[in-house]
Amino acid sequence: MNDNTAASGGALPAQAGSAGLPPEAPRTGRGGAPGVPASPVATFMRSGAARSLGLVVALVVLFVVGIITAGDRFASVDNMLTILRLASVIGVVSIGMTFVITGGGIDLSVGAIVALASVWATTLATQTIANDYHWTLMVTTALLVGTGCGLVNGVLVAYGRVVPFIATLAMLAAARGLAEILAGRRTQIVDVDGFTDFFGASVLGVPVLVIIFALVAAVGWVVFNRTTFGRRTFAVGGNPEAARLAGIKVKRHTMMLYALVGLCCGIAAIMLMARTTTGSSTHGLLYELDAIAAVVIGGTLLSGGRGTIVGTVFGVLIFTMLSNVFTLNNLSISAQSVAKGLIIVVAVLLQQRLAARSTST
Amino acid sequence: MSRPTTPLRKLGVIGTALAAIVIAAGCTSNTADSDKNDSGGTDSAKAGSNDEAGETVTIGFSGPEADHGWLAAINSAALDEAEKYEDVELLAAEGTNDPSLQISQIETFINDEVDAIVLLPTDGAALTAVAIKAMEAGIPVVNVDREFSSPFAARTTILGDNYGMGVSAGTYACQLVEDNNLTNPVIAEIAGIDALPLTQDRSEGFAAALKECGEEVDNRVAAEFTVESGEAQASNLLQAAPKIDIIWNHDDDQGVGVKAAFDNANRDEFFFIGGAGSANAMRWIQDGEMEATVLYPPTQAADGIRLARLIAQNKGLSDLVQVEVPKRIVLNAPVVTKDNVEEYMPLGFES
Amino acid sequence: MPVTAPTSAGPLLQMSGIVKTFPGVRALDGVDLDVRPGEVHCLLGQNGAGKSTLIKVLSGAHQPDDGEITWAGESVALGTPMAAINQGISTIYQELDLVHGLTVAENVFLGHEISRGGLSQRTEARRRTRGLLERLGHSEIPAGREVGRLSTAGQQIVSMARALSRDTRLIIMDEPSAVLDQEEVHNLFRVIRDLTSDGVAVIYISHRLEEIREIGDRVTVLKDGRTVATGLDARETPTKELIRLMTGRDIEYVFPDRPDGQPDAATVLEVDGLALAGTFADVGFRVHTGEIVGLAGLVGSGRSEILETIYGARRASSGTVSVDGKMMRAGSVVGAVRAGVGLCPEERKSQGLLLDQAVYRNITMSSMARFSRAGFMDRTAERAAATELTTSLDVRPSGVDRAVRTLSGGNQQKIVLARWLLRDCRVLLLDEPTRGVDVGARSEIYALVRSLAARGVAVVMVSSEVPEVLGLADRVLVVREGEVVHEGPADQIDEHQVLDLVMEGSAA
Repeated sequence: MNDNTAASGGALPAQAGSAGLPPEAPRTGRGGAPGVPASPVATFMRSGAARSLGLVVALVVLFVVGIITAGDRFASVDNMLTILRLASVIGVVSIGMTFVITGGGIDLSVGAIVALASVWATTLATQTIANDYHWTLMVTTALLVGTGCGLVNGVLVAYGRVVPFIATLAMLAAARGLAEILAGRRTQIVDVDGFTDFFGASVLGVPVLVIIFALVAAVGWVVFNRTTFGRRTFAVGGNPEAARLAGIKVKRHTMMLYALVGLCCGIAAIMLMARTTTGSSTHGLLYELDAIAAVVIGGTLLSGGRGTIVGTVFGVLIFTMLSNVFTLNNLSISAQSVAKGLIIVVAVLLQQRLAARSTST
Repeated sequence: MSRPTTPLRKLGVIGTALAAIVIAAGCTSNTADSDKNDSGGTDSAKAGSNDEAGETVTIGFSGPEADHGWLAAINSAALDEAEKYEDVELLAAEGTNDPSLQISQIETFINDEVDAIVLLPTDGAALTAVAIKAMEAGIPVVNVDREFSSPFAARTTILGDNYGMGVSAGTYACQLVEDNNLTNPVIAEIAGIDALPLTQDRSEGFAAALKECGEEVDNRVAAEFTVESGEAQASNLLQAAPKIDIIWNHDDDQGVGVKAAFDNANRDEFFFIGGAGSANAMRWIQDGEMEATVLYPPTQAADGIRLARLIAQNKGLSDLVQVEVPKRIVLNAPVVTKDNVEEYMPLGFES
Repeated sequence: MPVTAPTSAGPLLQMSGIVKTFPGVRALDGVDLDVRPGEVHCLLGQNGAGKSTLIKVLSGAHQPDDGEITWAGESVALGTPMAAINQGISTIYQELDLVHGLTVAENVFLGHEISRGGLSQRTEARRRTRGLLERLGHSEIPAGREVGRLSTAGQQIVSMARALSRDTRLIIMDEPSAVLDQEEVHNLFRVIRDLTSDGVAVIYISHRLEEIREIGDRVTVLKDGRTVATGLDARETPTKELIRLMTGRDIEYVFPDRPDGQPDAATVLEVDGLALAGTFADVGFRVHTGEIVGLAGLVGSGRSEILETIYGARRASSGTVSVDGKMMRAGSVVGAVRAGVGLCPEERKSQGLLLDQAVYRNITMSSMARFSRAGFMDRTAERAAATELTTSLDVRPSGVDRAVRTLSGGNQQKIVLARWLLRDCRVLLLDEPTRGVDVGARSEIYALVRSLAARGVAVVMVSSEVPEVLGLADRVLVVREGEVVHEGPADQIDEHQVLDLVMEGSAA
């Protein structure tokens, strides 16, 4: 989406470094004065929130539509918490997806990994042992299975040089199949009380699931924007060859990105197990598409090198709120799908306009 | 610029990954316990003279992939039924959701000259042509659950009654309204995949029955027969309607999620009616956590096997005067409540 | 003040007072240009002087806000690229706009396919393509070959054939020689001469003054969107004068002085018996602290590969590389960076930079450990360090939060250099350090490299431009077909001898 502006920008007289030329072209929206600490406004303008301005608008519009059409039923605390709770599972997956897409990859297997992790953590054997020792065993199992699948993806992509699309497509099929075999296509009910009590609880009225989502998003944001890991992710996704020649371990980092998504899938599986009190091979169906949609309308570049966690969170919230508003108004699922498609297009178009304006002035 | 990788190296990496998967699978094949107690259900059927062994017949059976509880129950009930008869040799094809694969399975049966075919098509219309071909080859076809588009494609058709399910649920809801003196009751419906004709039939039946007592569906959502979608849709539904009197959920598989949403929201002010009749649902009825469920029998294919055997052996249904097996059998959709749940428990399938 | 030389023939193209503004920038601010039939008219100017915009106006991609274009005596408006093509103006861009998956003939007739009754006439297209290639003296290029499989030089010829297929009277070439080696450039010049003798006019853009002297007839100089001189004689105008016009100042010394040799300087980089199967063999040399060693050779001679192998970006099939006496693991970039080696790669944009990311992030890319505590980046410290470096390197425009893409080639190169300066590297490997860098900025890069060496860094540089190697380096290695054929002090060999070695392999 930036190609347009870049192309016309290329025709502008870029300032050459030699003396004798007029100093300092007009500052671009993204630039900051040298050495001067950025003002809060400038910081905000560079933040994900500003880049996802189109999404904020969409969210506000949806919110207003919700209040107008469903009134108190929509604007209640209870309903807001329901929206957040429904957003939390796919939200955690989307945070992981933001990392891998920014890092120049894609993971189609997230839904299948969620299913496998949920099934593995709720097999009779796991639950029996968890009942005997501690319910956290189920949590550990889900996290290990998720991360393990992610690692396999990562090894195949980074060291096996399988195209991400293909490697994770294979994982999508294999993990879902393995989940079906393990579960015997049955829905496995969670009857470890410690588990359901812990994750079903609320702290100060906020469901634990929502707190987990908030934590994952916050930690994700910090790792993404403030750590060497995040910085490497941008570098590897933006220009893998330049990253390699700058001394960054591109392969190892790529592998770790996929392991990270896997970990997020493990967390999502735990949350789903708590929400539905089951593990099932039908969990997480089409999560890959929902997560990619949320990430992309959030403003993360599908080709890598640029991404935003804030935008992804907005993307997830928009889709969840959309389906809530539609249900409150008794509208059909088909109408929801149409609206979802429209939102994707409108949000992306809006964002392109905003991005063009902020780089051309 | 990139360093060349030898094929051997690559192979090693892939091999390691595969090994990891295999080991992973090996670690957890410990779920055998949950395989017990399937649908059985026909143990209680009285043995008539028809059950005496006749000439041995070969029956081909093909059904969709058992990707959820009800279909799994259907398949295993059919296999169990065939086991009971010494004079039945069953050729069961691998379950598939691919109509073209299923067509080739039927073609194989025709080539093998089986005596009868029991077919639960992935898509009734798509399998009609090959079924006609089998009939023309002199092989009687028993059509189960999803109907062919031509009357010449099957010797006999055995169907669950989706419209009837809706009617049963609606009638029962009307009964509840009357018994509990509900004025202006809020009635909600959680459907399955909306695009399927069977979902539309169920909803139409439900609406028609409600109309009889002057009621209608106030809130309706559609899930996808999965636990997760049941939970998500029910959560939104509960927000849409702050107070509900009666909820009918089409499918007990997704019902596990629906129930979880009720528990998460601490809502139980309504009568909860289910659909299909899973073992879970029946246990909830026993425990008083669910009002009722409308049965959609998972024994159709098992009945299909029985009918196929009779047809192949040129027998009729012994309880009918008519000497031949009827052309069309529509199974009833009874309502299971606390009063009769013990009776239906054996039919309950594990989802 | 435009300096206009007397004209002798009626101009084919006359542009006067062309103005083009973009939001916030006046890209063209009164450009005058006249081109005669059959001449090679060179357009000179630093990056950002307005050359690209002018080309886009001429090719119909941009519409001028003001000014007049006269074509063959008539005033014309070039509203679209198609309109320009129909007038007989063709442009060959730096990034050749060919479709790689199509054949040569299909590319030549792309957009004006030969067809009869809706069916394309492949045989006819190929026959005519062969005719055009023959006219260009490149009949060895098969008309049915996929363009993606041709060399860059071959693709350039196809672009020209495409231009000729349209009855072109003016061809604009934007830095055609940047991607070619010496021999290919000679071929290109032969083709240009053939074309001009047929009356076709050429607007030729290049940073290389020596090329302009060889092929050009007249020169127009642009600076800051204005024509500062037009109609200068391409052969006679002194270099100093051209550089003064381009930069607005006199450049006395392009290359910095060499310091006196220090015979007892410590050896930093030792390369022994280094080989990369199929590319080069048995390369060995030493670089001392403070020394600049230049590798000269043709494209494809293995010179870039030698740098990349030293750096670990390619795994050597045999031989060793040591830095400060410590042997390095083959094929490990990470190891090389740790040992204090830095590389400024040949393709700066695709191999060196994160174009869309901030300047400071590009600079600290290889020093993340230094700015992180427990994995968290200290961005204040990063910005401060980057600001200090960009200020001392005189990167313009300043501002470390600006995307690298917005900088000129020379300034981008400084960012890559800053990355390694930040690491206090011991060995700096420079691959084509001044490619795409304009003349004024070049001398800055040269001075910078020399000052690095003066600080004790051992520098190895590769360049296609022999004068650059001879001017900047202390010692020269000449590479031919993967072999070092000569090693000696840079001031004891001249350009002709180097070229002889490169071609023949024996010192004249």
